[in-house]
Amino acid sequence: MFMSDLQLDSASRAERSVAVSVRGVTMDFGSGSPAVKDASFDVETGSFLTILGPSGSGKTTLLRMIAGFQKPTQGTITIAGKPVDADPPNRRSIGMVFQKLALFPHMTAAENVAFPLKMRRTNPAEISGKVEKFLNLVKLDGYAERRPHELSGGQQQRVAIARALVFEPELLLLDEPLAALDRKLREEMQLEFRRIQKELGVTTINVTHDQREALVVSDDIIVMDQGLIQQHDRPVGLYRAPNNLFVASFIGVSTFIDGTLTADGLKVGDLLLPGSATPEATLGAPARGAVRAEQLRIGAGPEALAGCEIEMDGKVEDVIFEGERLIYVVGCERAPDIKFQIYHHDPHSFDIFEIGSPVRIGWHGKDMKIFNHDA
Amino acid sequence: MTSSSQKLIFWTLVGISIITLSMPTIIVLGASVTSGNIIAFPPDGFSLKWYEKIAMARELRLALWRSLIVSTVCVIVSLPVGTVAGIALTRYRLKFVNLINIYLLLPFTVPLIGSGIGMMLVFGEWGILGNVWPVGVACAVINLPFVIWSVSSSAAALDRDLELAAENCGAGRMETFWYVTLPAVMPGVITGGLLMFVLAMTEFLVSLLLTDARTVTLPVQIYNNIRSIITPDLAAISVVFVVIALIAVWLLDRLVGLEIFLKSK
Ligand SMILES: Nc1ncnc2c1ncn2[C@@H]1O[C@H](COP(=O)(O)OP(=O)(O)OP(=O)(O)O)[C@@H](O)[C@H]1O
Ligand SMILES: [Mg+2]
Repeated sequence: MFMSDLQLDSASRAERSVAVSVRGVTMDFGSGSPAVKDASFDVETGSFLTILGPSGSGKTTLLRMIAGFQKPTQGTITIAGKPVDADPPNRRSIGMVFQKLALFPHMTAAENVAFPLKMRRTNPAEISGKVEKFLNLVKLDGYAERRPHELSGGQQQRVAIARALVFEPELLLLDEPLAALDRKLREEMQLEFRRIQKELGVTTINVTHDQREALVVSDDIIVMDQGLIQQHDRPVGLYRAPNNLFVASFIGVSTFIDGTLTADGLKVGDLLLPGSATPEATLGAPARGAVRAEQLRIGAGPEALAGCEIEMDGKVEDVIFEGERLIYVVGCERAPDIKFQIYHHDPHSFDIFEIGSPVRIGWHGKDMKIFNHDA
Repeated sequence: MTSSSQKLIFWTLVGISIITLSMPTIIVLGASVTSGNIIAFPPDGFSLKWYEKIAMARELRLALWRSLIVSTVCVIVSLPVGTVAGIALTRYRLKFVNLINIYLLLPFTVPLIGSGIGMMLVFGEWGILGNVWPVGVACAVINLPFVIWSVSSSAAALDRDLELAAENCGAGRMETFWYVTLPAVMPGVITGGLLMFVLAMTEFLVSLLLTDARTVTLPVQIYNNIRSIITPDLAAISVVFVVIALIAVWLLDRLVGLEIFLKSK
């Protein structure tokens, strides 16, 4: 399934219809650099797009402009083929789940869900039918008469999503609504959002700073930093082929190696490490290599490293146990400034290497990505 | 210190505070049920004859009735204005907010006698003196900051995202105000309304300036009576005032107990 996703070329993607189109959108609050700079992207009808980025990268600002709460300084937003720049928020057919949910505290769950329909002058019989249907969709039958403060965090989330979807909007916006939940509930709700989104086929733009959530739930991911779109790609593409150093370091766990780019690879002191350089990387300039923790091999001797072009001796300096996985931190005499972070590979036993044990590590040259790096 | 001696000290302090705070009320209550002819505490025997006397006194009944009208007019005038102003001051970025806030403090810096005389002149000019309702309007004007403050404190606690959520659900400005903003500030509106009612009920100085023999309100009537002779019926009237205030507090508790519903989580 992943491979076929990967092989979807740009031509076949272009054939699908576009639900939301953002063109050259900039938001300048007039305090320092703009919160969003010249953002342009399309969202396919029925797809799930995640905007991923660190705090302050402009994610919420971008979402608020799409919702109509803020007017872009420049640029145009088109929804279902119509430019919406002149439309106030209540004239845009967009459902939104807020970061703090923003359920109406004086209304019951059912009244909250009914509100968008009431505002659209839907007749009462139809309202009660739809409210029932959507409370059922989010598995909240039996909670209709409760007020938000009488519901658990997860149940409040469900009310919020039902309220955002009940009027069958063209677009659903999610502004980190899961950030406040504990991990287990968050992961459960991620899958729940995905299920509901698939079931209704509603185009969705989700905002998060949780890379795991982005990879798990999205069809497409946009990585943002400092108001700029860094990369727009499918999850697998983003993970396998990061465009730049920011994307490489923001997603996944990698070890970084600083050096100079040569025609044969990255030169670090007297070491020459083969790797694949991004097109932007310039020969002779300072560069930074990145190898993912799962692509580094570790073993007691050379036999564990079959096929690795690069090998070196090292010593385990730390062992980080994260439950489902284990990370070795390894130092090597030949590259003294670098702490290699390596996933443990044996699924049947943990802790083969104690802190202090001598090990041999290595990797395939093609697994190291080399990026421009202004030191 | 042991916990039992801590407890003893705590309850002693609580007891002293309660007694000092309620002393005037208790004395007035006691004095009002005396069976003697002079105001005294402890009361000289028990009787309800002074309550009977004030109930029979025509001028007191009329004065109470006028005071109720004054209070009602005051609430009707001040509540819509104060509510909108209180919300506007906190919710929307108005220019000169600080200036407006200072202006709202004016009633407390200009002595009541000043604003009272001012209004006497204006109302005299307009030829509306001699009516009861202008007293209510005057009370509304001088006490307006109380409603504004009480509404703004509710409005400040309101999550701005609630209004955005309403707009996102398709509500226009008026609908957002009516269905979301107003219910959220309702505790402040109710508190402000009851406060205005009680303040107007007991307002003396401004009433004194704006009323004549035909329009005296209850506080002014009591003052007139004191000037002649202090009898236990005054204590009985005071008890009536205390009861009105208690009813207001009770209503507040009943109505603003709703506040729990209005706050999320
Ligand atoms: N109304 C505003 N006025 C001025 N600056 C603003 C305003 N809203 C956001 N900003 C600035 O714009 C930048 C982007 O903010 P934004 O809220 O979009 O970030 P974010 O990516 O959503 O971050 P987070 O993950 O913390 O929610 C920040 O530097 C912020 O200070
Ligand atoms: Mg945000």
